[in-house]
Amino acid sequence: MSTTPLAPAASPAPEASHAPGASPRPVAHPSYLGVDTTLRSWLLTTDHKRIGVLYLVTLLATMALGGFFALALRIEHLTPNATIVSAMTYNRMFTLHGVIMVWLFLIPSIPSSFGNFVLPMMVGAKDVAFPRLNLLSYWIFVAGSILVLLSTGIGGIDTGWTFYPPYSSISATAVPLALLGVFIIGFSTILTGLNFIVTTHTMRAKGVGWMRLPLFVWSIYATSIIQVLATPVLGMVLLFVVVDNGLGWGLFDPARGGDPVLYQHLFWFYSHPAVYIMVLPGMGVVSEVVASYARKNPFSYKAIAYSSLGIAFVGFLTWGHHMFVAGMSKFDAGAFGVLSMLVAVFSAIKVFNWTWTLKRGAVALKTPLLYIFAFLFLFVFGGMTGVATASMSLDVHWHDTYFIVAHFHFIMVGGTLTAFLAGLHYWFPKMCGRMYPERLGMLSAALVFAGFFVTFFPQFLLGNAGMPRRYFNYPPQFQVLHIVSTVGSWVLAAGLILTAFYFLWSLRWGAPAGPNPWGSRSFEWRTASPPPKHNFRREPPFEIDPYDYTQPLPDEVYQ
Amino acid sequence: MSSFALPKTVVRTGLALFVLWAASFGLSYVHLGSASLLVALAIAAVKAALVVMFFMELLHESLSMKLTLAAAGGLLAILIGLMIADAATREPPPLVPPGYPAPDVAKIPSR
Amino acid sequence: MSSSIPIRPAEHFENLERQAHAARLGMWVFLATEVLLFGAAFALFATYQVQFPHAFKLGVEHNTKVLGSLNTGVLLLSSTLVATGVHALRAGHRKVASWLVTATIGLGLVFLVIKGIEYGKHFDEGIYPGGAGHWFAEHHDRGLAEFWTLYFGMTALHAIHVTIGACVLGALLSSILRGRLGQENAHRLEVGAIYWHLVDVIWIFLWPLFYLA
Repeated sequence: MSTTPLAPAASPAPEASHAPGASPRPVAHPSYLGVDTTLRSWLLTTDHKRIGVLYLVTLLATMALGGFFALALRIEHLTPNATIVSAMTYNRMFTLHGVIMVWLFLIPSIPSSFGNFVLPMMVGAKDVAFPRLNLLSYWIFVAGSILVLLSTGIGGIDTGWTFYPPYSSISATAVPLALLGVFIIGFSTILTGLNFIVTTHTMRAKGVGWMRLPLFVWSIYATSIIQVLATPVLGMVLLFVVVDNGLGWGLFDPARGGDPVLYQHLFWFYSHPAVYIMVLPGMGVVSEVVASYARKNPFSYKAIAYSSLGIAFVGFLTWGHHMFVAGMSKFDAGAFGVLSMLVAVFSAIKVFNWTWTLKRGAVALKTPLLYIFAFLFLFVFGGMTGVATASMSLDVHWHDTYFIVAHFHFIMVGGTLTAFLAGLHYWFPKMCGRMYPERLGMLSAALVFAGFFVTFFPQFLLGNAGMPRRYFNYPPQFQVLHIVSTVGSWVLAAGLILTAFYFLWSLRWGAPAGPNPWGSRSFEWRTASPPPKHNFRREPPFEIDPYDYTQPLPDEVYQ
Repeated sequence: MSSFALPKTVVRTGLALFVLWAASFGLSYVHLGSASLLVALAIAAVKAALVVMFFMELLHESLSMKLTLAAAGGLLAILIGLMIADAATREPPPLVPPGYPAPDVAKIPSR
Repeated sequence: MSSSIPIRPAEHFENLERQAHAARLGMWVFLATEVLLFGAAFALFATYQVQFPHAFKLGVEHNTKVLGSLNTGVLLLSSTLVATGVHALRAGHRKVASWLVTATIGLGLVFLVIKGIEYGKHFDEGIYPGGAGHWFAEHHDRGLAEFWTLYFGMTALHAIHVTIGACVLGALLSSILRGRLGQENAHRLEVGAIYWHLVDVIWIFLWPLFYLA
């Protein structure tokens, strides 16, 4: 922890001095939003903040689309037999729901939007290391997404988001197109991760050492390592399925001596770490939000920072727990079962750190923190059921049932989506310079939490009772729980729609935020809101630690 | 403009690579049985190390780049290791899948 | 010999040295992804080879060892030349460097031609990916289809990388000839050369797997 006080004399003649809540209008320089307002300047921008905003808008649209499929799936299950769609449409819808939510929303959700926006500011840089590569990454993402969505237009895909051969090798639906789309999105993921790794290594400002980086940077850094090292494996194996399906190469075709289990090995070597690509950035948001609203440094900075790297590493050793019933050898199954439980150790280190920070802090209850409470509850719930399913004897019973569906939705939606919403509320004032309505925010947070829990908790019970996932019909005795789950999805949707409305309202009519509405010590709050094009007009002295709440806030804004 | 002197490290590395190349080629005619693949891969690993260290100059690079390559190599070892462990310890799959011409039983390796 | 156009760092970098460091680290991280990309295919090869050692031996013996080995020599020579080229550019010998890079690109094309001749031979014999072709009517061993599918998949992917590498070196060569690339920013050629070396390293491992053992 730094103890050097910021001497006001050391930074002569601040041009615009802001107390929290004062005028948000920077006098000296236009903000990144005001520099150039043409459409062309947005679409071809190399400013990391604008690229972050582009990603955010795109990702909110894909999330809405994935959510639409989710609602339709839940409505379909209101009755034991066909309700609104045919069985074939149902197959295509759950596949698209999965593909869209995983690759078009969750994987890039926090890193590409908030990571792009705040990471360079958090390391004190003017931009990421390769700004043009960053723009390219966005457009590659758009191109891949368009391919995936085009595949919906020409028949969709019905393999499930896991694309398991041998079925995906012979399915007559638009498998090659959709898989090429995912392959291309993988490039975008790799380039973004590469950019963040190099930025963290080479663009840190003077005074921002590794042990002074905001914890969000650590978690994005760990995420980037997974993105860079795991995604190419998925790319390779998807290419083989593309040629299997499109050209009949049959590498995984048992009829030609192939081994479909090998596909699962390579697929999960990516797709299990991909869960950490989704949840690690969420953990970074939690660390930032907890410290800001507890007004206290994290209980152990190093434990949180290193456990991010620990999760990134151990996440690579666990992929086999998806394959316990796939015909994998008993030796491998045992090894993967044990290794999988290690992840819980690092996750628990983080959870205990956050809760202890909150307990010792002076908590200001705002919407982002409400979402963090939801995160902590749902993540621990989902994590503990994960440890249970990592035990092979239990997993044989639960495998491919709603229990698994509920478990990973608790992590992906209960973890990542709540953290994403927390980050959205937390950084919205920085991005747009305006506040959201706090009471409506809290109301929608409560709706999202309640709706989520009512949707997915019954699915644990359904799965334990034997309801298999991806089934169109079900026995009538499961109907009550299915109806409860569907009603929950409506509450969840209501919360999200309410959120969308008040954010749109705040863009225009929200109260001016000022440079640092939360009184946070983190580096991105030491510039104006919205920030100027090059983030800090001159290099601010990063002498105060990003979590040092023992001293008064420096009232100078380095815009 | 002074004349360009050949860099000694590069020349020596190049020579070593060609010596190893010839060695690997020659050894492939010697009957080593099941060890032949391992020997050939070991020589390949030495060659790759030479290229990485002296041509790509990883030897003089900062720690971050060494760690990057080490992480990639380590993960690859984990991936290949656990996949081979599965294939080597797995209960054998059915030998004749439906629709596949009957194999010559004598040629199927016993487990 | 100094550069004819003054070379400045990009505006978000403090100095050229830091930018060069970032460029090299960026390339190494990218190479790590390439290692894992090919690594996935190597993992498939290894697992199938453990399952079908006999068929894989047959496949290797059927390949033309001389052509594959010749190609290895071609790539090793090209790597040596481009490494020398980097040293030349660093020492300010722009002309020497441009000749060496040209030779490297030429050797890359030789590699592709030899690879193409090999593919032609396979197609003549009736060997296609996915166990298609009349060769497989006479050779039934389980695992042969996998061997040839992996052979075509991995060597084709490698050939694509050779092509990309040659294009990258071609762009750098044109920069050298136009005086935009010289001693001060020699790191750009370094980064391109590192990519070329990686393509070489991958072939160093493909060679024993598909031609020797």
